[in-house]
Amino acid sequence: MENVIELQHVTKSFKGFQVKDLSISVKKGFVTGFIGGNGAGKSTTIKLIMNLLKQDSGSISVFGLTHDTDERAIKERIGFVYDENIFYENLTLKDMKKIIRPAYKKWNDAMFHKYVDQFELPLGKKIKTFSKGMKMKASLAIALSHQAELIIMDEPTSGLDPVFRRELLNILHELMQDGDKTIFFSTHITTDLDRIADYIIFVNNGEHVFTKEFYKIQEDYAIVKGPLDLLDADTEREFVAVQKSNIGFEALTAYKDRVADLFGEAVVLEKPTLEDIMYYTEKGRCLNV
Amino acid sequence: MFNLIWKDLFIQKKLILLYLAIIGLYFWLGTPLFWLAFITSISFIMNAFYYDEKDNINILLNSLPYTRKQIVTSKYIGAIIFTALFIGVIAGGSFIINGMESPFSWKGVLQTFGLVMAWISLIFPFFYKFKQQYLVIGGIIFFVIAMLSFKAVIHLLKERFGEVVQWFIGLSDLQLYSSASLVILLLYGGSWLLSMRIYERKVF
Repeated sequence: MENVIELQHVTKSFKGFQVKDLSISVKKGFVTGFIGGNGAGKSTTIKLIMNLLKQDSGSISVFGLTHDTDERAIKERIGFVYDENIFYENLTLKDMKKIIRPAYKKWNDAMFHKYVDQFELPLGKKIKTFSKGMKMKASLAIALSHQAELIIMDEPTSGLDPVFRRELLNILHELMQDGDKTIFFSTHITTDLDRIADYIIFVNNGEHVFTKEFYKIQEDYAIVKGPLDLLDADTEREFVAVQKSNIGFEALTAYKDRVADLFGEAVVLEKPTLEDIMYYTEKGRCLNV
Repeated sequence: MFNLIWKDLFIQKKLILLYLAIIGLYFWLGTPLFWLAFITSISFIMNAFYYDEKDNINILLNSLPYTRKQIVTSKYIGAIIFTALFIGVIAGGSFIINGMESPFSWKGVLQTFGLVMAWISLIFPFFYKFKQQYLVIGGIIFFVIAMLSFKAVIHLLKERFGEVVQWFIGLSDLQLYSSASLVILLLYGGSWLLSMRIYERKVF
């Protein structure tokens, strides 16, 4: 299967934060959700992919091309949405369109106006009067109006009301219907992903934890609940992290089948949410440090 | 690239009347035309730069299909185009008001270009290197030091470089202007290359 984005052994250090030996890939024609807590390295990774940051080492390719030689060709084919405002505050959306349109070879004005109508965006009002959600919608309208093959979004759903969040997911879903578009977006609202994500890439503290097909996560991971006397040094190794209380323990395992064999009827296995996985992984990391 | 230059004009469309009003005011005050063209061109160019910095526009531009070289180059070429525009407007305005009495001479045109290009050569690399808020502080400190040391510098120049100054004064206009043009062009080119290097390494 073709990879649209490929990072290999990418390292980037800042003061007090590091992306360490990150190797991830995003498959063409699918929706990939990019999850991790605050400060996990999601925005950094997206900026690296967009060439807003340069990696210290490792390689990054988009559409099989690198920014060193084909920066313009790559960006021609990407639609982007960031979680900060990147428009002139004192201009209107109509003006912003006039500035952005000539940058793209394949700009489609009819498409832009279709989305502006659908998102109920005022063309003639200054960007600074827009709410966070409206700014996101404006970014999205522009991202979808130049026939981009890859849509990259950094936290697009944060700051949106639940109604529009669902609407956005529907739009993305629709977008995926017509052919070989690829969507890559970061989020910490993991319920968004239940609806549309085919793949999940999970990073924690600048490190890649896993890339899995969405349905596979539920096959591998499980929340395990049982009495405390089952726990000892050996059995605890089966878990990402364990939470103990007076009445028993609750833990996350990445080896559901093995745990089921090991404990049998003595424990209860439940389907984990992505949030459970994020929570226990972070907890496990803190314990192991 | 032309899009980026046009953008700097477009984002200031509402200020164009203000620029014209300033030009009118300075006409009335009798400011020399080359100086007026210099001040208005620099204000225009710096203001475009400021708007880009203020609103994270560098993130936008770098996400659009432009290279960093193009983004920097557009500022350097744009500066020359905008200066030419202001010279045109001021020369035109002056002609309408004064006729041929005090025209914009070729010397004035060269002086304006020289001043604008020298100023930009010095200031743009700093603007690309540092964040705006540091620049304001840096600018104030620089200004204070420059004011305080002005006399000392002149004194030093006279004492140590008397011969050089004499040589300069001895040059004909043509020699002076052509050598100054050459120096400024080299400075501008060097500054452009330096700014591109700085901007290529910048992170957003």
